[in-house]
Amino acid sequence: MTPAGVALVLCGAVALYAGVRVALEPDTLRKLPFLNVFSFAITGVIALLLPHPLGIVAAAAYFVGSTLESNAIASTFAGGLERG
Amino acid sequence: MNETVMIMLAALVVLGCVLAIRESDPYRKLIALSLIVGGTIPFIVDRGLLDVAVAVALIFPLSTIFILMACPGGEP
Amino acid sequence: MTPEFLLGLFLILAGTVGTAFPRPKTYLNRLINLEIPGIGILLVMLSYNEALALLTYGGVSALSVFIFVRVLQKREAKT
Repeated sequence: MTPAGVALVLCGAVALYAGVRVALEPDTLRKLPFLNVFSFAITGVIALLLPHPLGIVAAAAYFVGSTLESNAIASTFAGGLERG
Repeated sequence: MNETVMIMLAALVVLGCVLAIRESDPYRKLIALSLIVGGTIPFIVDRGLLDVAVAVALIFPLSTIFILMACPGGEP
Repeated sequence: MTPEFLLGLFLILAGTVGTAFPRPKTYLNRLINLEIPGIGILLVMLSYNEALALLTYGGVSALSVFIFVRVLQKREAKT
Protein backbone atom coordinates (compact mmCIF):
# COMPACT_ATOMS: atom_id res chain seq x y z
CA MET A 1 0.00 0.00 0.00
CA THR A 2 1.32 3.43 -0.95
CA PRO A 3 1.90 6.15 1.67
CA ALA A 4 -0.94 8.25 0.19
CA GLY A 5 -3.26 5.26 0.62
CA VAL A 6 -2.22 4.86 4.25
CA ALA A 7 -2.91 8.56 4.91
CA LEU A 8 -6.31 8.26 3.19
CA VAL A 9 -7.33 5.26 5.31
CA LEU A 10 -6.13 7.05 8.46
CA CYS A 11 -8.23 10.14 7.64
CA GLY A 12 -11.23 7.90 6.99
CA ALA A 13 -10.75 6.13 10.33
CA VAL A 14 -10.59 9.48 12.16
CA ALA A 15 -13.78 10.60 10.39
CA LEU A 16 -15.60 7.36 11.33
CA TYR A 17 -14.50 7.62 14.98
CA ALA A 18 -15.62 11.25 15.18
CA GLY A 19 -18.97 10.35 13.59
CA VAL A 20 -19.57 7.58 16.14
CA ARG A 21 -18.67 9.95 18.97
CA VAL A 22 -21.11 12.55 17.59
CA ALA A 23 -23.83 9.90 17.48
CA LEU A 24 -23.26 8.69 21.05
CA GLU A 25 -22.91 12.09 22.77
CA PRO A 26 -25.95 12.97 24.93
CA ASP A 27 -25.14 16.69 25.35
CA THR A 28 -25.89 18.88 22.32
CA LEU A 29 -23.23 21.52 22.97
CA ARG A 30 -20.58 18.83 23.47
CA LYS A 31 -21.30 17.42 19.99
CA LEU A 32 -19.85 20.44 18.19
CA PRO A 33 -16.08 19.83 18.85
CA PHE A 34 -16.47 16.31 17.48
CA LEU A 35 -18.26 17.77 14.46
CA ASN A 36 -15.21 19.99 13.90
CA VAL A 37 -12.91 16.96 14.09
CA PHE A 38 -15.14 15.20 11.55
CA SER A 39 -14.95 18.15 9.15
CA PHE A 40 -11.13 18.29 9.43
CA ALA A 41 -10.90 14.59 8.58
CA ILE A 42 -13.24 14.95 5.59
CA THR A 43 -11.12 17.89 4.37
CA GLY A 44 -8.09 15.59 4.50
CA VAL A 45 -9.92 12.88 2.54
CA ILE A 46 -10.97 15.39 -0.17
CA ALA A 47 -7.45 16.81 -0.49
CA LEU A 48 -5.77 13.38 -0.68
CA LEU A 49 -8.31 11.75 -3.01
CA LEU A 50 -7.32 13.21 -6.40
CA PRO A 51 -3.87 14.53 -7.45
CA HIS A 52 -5.36 17.57 -9.20
CA PRO A 53 -4.75 21.30 -8.53
CA LEU A 54 -8.47 22.03 -8.19
CA GLY A 55 -8.77 19.43 -5.42
CA ILE A 56 -7.10 21.81 -2.98
CA VAL A 57 -9.69 24.47 -3.89
CA ALA A 58 -12.52 21.99 -3.23
CA ALA A 59 -11.00 21.06 0.14
CA ALA A 60 -10.65 24.73 1.11
CA ALA A 61 -14.24 25.43 0.06
CA TYR A 62 -15.56 22.53 2.15
CA PHE A 63 -13.44 23.64 5.12
CA VAL A 64 -14.75 27.22 4.99
CA GLY A 65 -18.36 26.10 4.54
CA SER A 66 -18.32 23.50 7.29
CA THR A 67 -16.68 25.86 9.81
CA LEU A 68 -19.26 28.54 9.00
CA GLU A 69 -22.11 26.08 9.46
CA SER A 70 -20.78 24.78 12.78
CA ASN A 71 -20.29 28.31 14.09
CA ALA A 72 -23.81 29.29 13.02
CA ILE A 73 -25.32 26.29 14.83
CA ALA A 74 -23.33 27.03 18.01
CA SER A 75 -24.16 30.75 17.93
CA THR A 76 -27.89 30.17 17.49
CA PHE A 77 -27.98 27.43 20.13
CA ALA A 78 -26.27 29.65 22.71
CA GLY A 79 -28.78 32.45 22.05
CA GLY A 80 -26.12 34.88 20.86
CA LEU A 81 -28.19 35.93 17.87
CA GLU A 82 -30.68 38.53 19.10
CA ARG A 83 -33.84 38.14 17.07
CA GLY A 84 -37.26 39.66 17.56
CA MET B 1 -11.40 5.03 -4.82
CA ASN B 2 -9.90 2.99 -2.05
CA GLU B 3 -12.41 0.35 -0.99
CA THR B 4 -11.89 0.80 2.75
CA VAL B 5 -12.42 4.57 2.63
CA MET B 6 -15.54 4.11 0.50
CA ILE B 7 -17.06 1.68 3.03
CA MET B 8 -16.24 4.10 5.87
CA LEU B 9 -17.92 7.03 4.08
CA ALA B 10 -21.00 4.94 3.24
CA ALA B 11 -21.25 3.92 6.91
CA LEU B 12 -21.05 7.59 7.89
CA VAL B 13 -23.89 8.50 5.50
CA VAL B 14 -26.11 5.68 6.82
CA LEU B 15 -25.30 6.65 10.44
CA GLY B 16 -26.17 10.29 9.76
CA CYS B 17 -29.44 9.33 8.05
CA VAL B 18 -30.62 7.14 10.94
CA LEU B 19 -29.55 9.81 13.45
CA ALA B 20 -31.31 12.63 11.56
CA ILE B 21 -34.60 10.73 11.45
CA ARG B 22 -34.62 9.48 15.05
CA GLU B 23 -33.65 12.73 16.86
CA SER B 24 -36.32 15.18 17.99
CA ASP B 25 -34.39 18.41 18.74
CA PRO B 26 -33.87 20.58 15.60
CA TYR B 27 -30.25 21.37 16.48
CA ARG B 28 -29.38 17.68 16.81
CA LYS B 29 -31.06 17.04 13.46
CA LEU B 30 -28.97 19.76 11.82
CA ILE B 31 -25.76 18.27 13.23
CA ALA B 32 -26.72 14.86 11.78
CA LEU B 33 -27.49 16.54 8.43
CA SER B 34 -23.98 17.98 8.43
CA LEU B 35 -22.71 14.41 8.92
CA ILE B 36 -24.62 13.28 5.78
CA VAL B 37 -23.26 16.14 3.63
CA GLY B 38 -19.70 15.48 4.82
CA GLY B 39 -20.00 11.84 3.82
CA THR B 40 -21.47 12.74 0.41
CA ILE B 41 -18.93 15.27 -0.93
CA PRO B 42 -15.97 12.82 -1.29
CA PHE B 43 -18.14 10.71 -3.63
CA ILE B 44 -18.55 13.79 -5.86
CA VAL B 45 -14.80 14.49 -5.77
CA ASP B 46 -14.04 10.87 -6.66
CA ARG B 47 -15.94 11.18 -9.97
CA GLY B 48 -13.71 14.11 -10.95
CA LEU B 49 -16.46 16.75 -10.83
CA LEU B 50 -14.45 19.21 -8.77
CA ASP B 51 -16.37 22.36 -9.76
CA VAL B 52 -19.61 20.71 -8.69
CA ALA B 53 -17.95 19.76 -5.39
CA VAL B 54 -16.96 23.41 -4.78
CA ALA B 55 -20.51 24.59 -5.53
CA VAL B 56 -22.18 21.97 -3.32
CA ALA B 57 -19.75 22.57 -0.45
CA LEU B 58 -20.58 26.28 -0.50
CA ILE B 59 -24.36 25.97 -1.04
CA PHE B 60 -25.30 23.41 1.64
CA PRO B 61 -24.09 25.48 4.65
CA LEU B 62 -26.16 28.34 3.20
CA SER B 63 -29.20 26.06 3.27
CA THR B 64 -28.47 25.14 6.90
CA ILE B 65 -28.27 28.84 7.84
CA PHE B 66 -31.66 29.39 6.14
CA ILE B 67 -33.17 26.63 8.29
CA LEU B 68 -31.56 28.13 11.42
CA MET B 69 -33.53 31.33 10.76
CA ALA B 70 -36.73 29.40 11.54
CA CYS B 71 -35.40 27.59 14.64
CA PRO B 72 -36.65 28.71 18.05
CA GLY B 73 -33.99 30.10 20.39
CA GLY B 74 -31.93 27.54 22.27
CA GLU B 75 -31.05 27.37 25.93
CA PRO B 76 -30.27 30.81 27.47
CA MET C 1 -25.17 -0.62 -9.81
CA THR C 2 -22.54 1.70 -8.46
CA PRO C 3 -22.33 2.34 -4.68
CA GLU C 4 -23.47 5.94 -5.22
CA PHE C 5 -26.72 4.70 -6.81
CA LEU C 6 -27.50 2.27 -3.97
CA LEU C 7 -26.66 4.88 -1.29
CA GLY C 8 -28.86 7.45 -3.06
CA LEU C 9 -31.79 5.02 -3.24
CA PHE C 10 -31.44 4.27 0.49
CA LEU C 11 -31.38 7.98 1.33
CA ILE C 12 -34.47 8.66 -0.83
CA LEU C 13 -36.49 5.82 0.76
CA ALA C 14 -35.50 6.55 4.38
CA GLY C 15 -35.88 10.31 4.00
CA THR C 16 -39.31 10.02 2.39
CA VAL C 17 -40.60 7.79 5.19
CA GLY C 18 -39.07 10.18 7.75
CA THR C 19 -40.72 13.18 6.08
CA ALA C 20 -44.12 11.52 5.92
CA PHE C 21 -44.11 10.42 9.57
CA PRO C 22 -41.88 12.79 11.60
CA ARG C 23 -41.48 11.95 15.30
CA PRO C 24 -42.74 15.24 16.86
CA LYS C 25 -45.15 16.35 14.15
CA THR C 26 -43.97 19.94 13.57
CA TYR C 27 -43.30 21.82 10.35
CA LEU C 28 -39.64 22.41 11.24
CA ASN C 29 -38.89 18.70 11.69
CA ARG C 30 -40.61 17.99 8.39
CA LEU C 31 -38.49 20.66 6.64
CA ILE C 32 -35.24 19.29 8.06
CA ASN C 33 -36.18 15.72 7.08
CA LEU C 34 -36.94 16.98 3.57
CA GLU C 35 -33.23 17.72 3.11
CA ILE C 36 -32.34 14.00 3.26
CA PRO C 37 -34.10 12.96 -0.02
CA GLY C 38 -32.52 16.02 -1.65
CA ILE C 39 -29.04 14.67 -0.95
CA GLY C 40 -30.21 11.23 -2.15
CA ILE C 41 -31.34 12.70 -5.48
CA LEU C 42 -27.94 14.43 -5.72
CA LEU C 43 -26.22 11.04 -5.32
CA VAL C 44 -28.44 9.36 -7.94
CA MET C 45 -27.70 12.19 -10.42
CA LEU C 46 -24.00 11.74 -9.62
CA SER C 47 -24.09 8.06 -10.63
CA TYR C 48 -25.13 9.13 -14.17
CA ASN C 49 -22.30 11.75 -14.48
CA GLU C 50 -24.60 14.74 -15.10
CA ALA C 51 -22.50 17.76 -14.09
CA LEU C 52 -24.90 20.50 -15.27
CA ALA C 53 -27.90 18.84 -13.60
CA LEU C 54 -25.95 18.64 -10.33
CA LEU C 55 -25.04 22.33 -10.43
CA THR C 56 -28.59 23.46 -11.22
CA TYR C 57 -30.20 21.18 -8.65
CA GLY C 58 -27.82 22.33 -5.91
CA GLY C 59 -28.66 25.97 -6.54
CA VAL C 60 -32.41 25.51 -6.75
CA SER C 61 -32.52 23.32 -3.62
CA ALA C 62 -31.16 26.14 -1.42
CA LEU C 63 -33.64 28.57 -3.01
CA SER C 64 -36.58 26.28 -2.28
CA VAL C 65 -35.46 25.89 1.34
CA PHE C 66 -35.38 29.70 1.64
CA ILE C 67 -38.94 29.95 0.27
CA PHE C 68 -40.18 27.26 2.68
CA VAL C 69 -38.59 29.12 5.62
CA ARG C 70 -40.32 32.36 4.59
CA VAL C 71 -43.68 30.54 4.36
CA LEU C 72 -43.11 29.00 7.80
CA GLN C 73 -42.23 32.36 9.37
CA LYS C 74 -45.30 33.99 7.84
CA ARG C 75 -47.55 31.26 9.23
CA GLU C 76 -46.00 31.59 12.69
CA ALA C 77 -46.50 35.36 12.66
CA LYS C 78 -50.20 34.99 11.78
CA THR C 79 -51.13 32.67 14.70
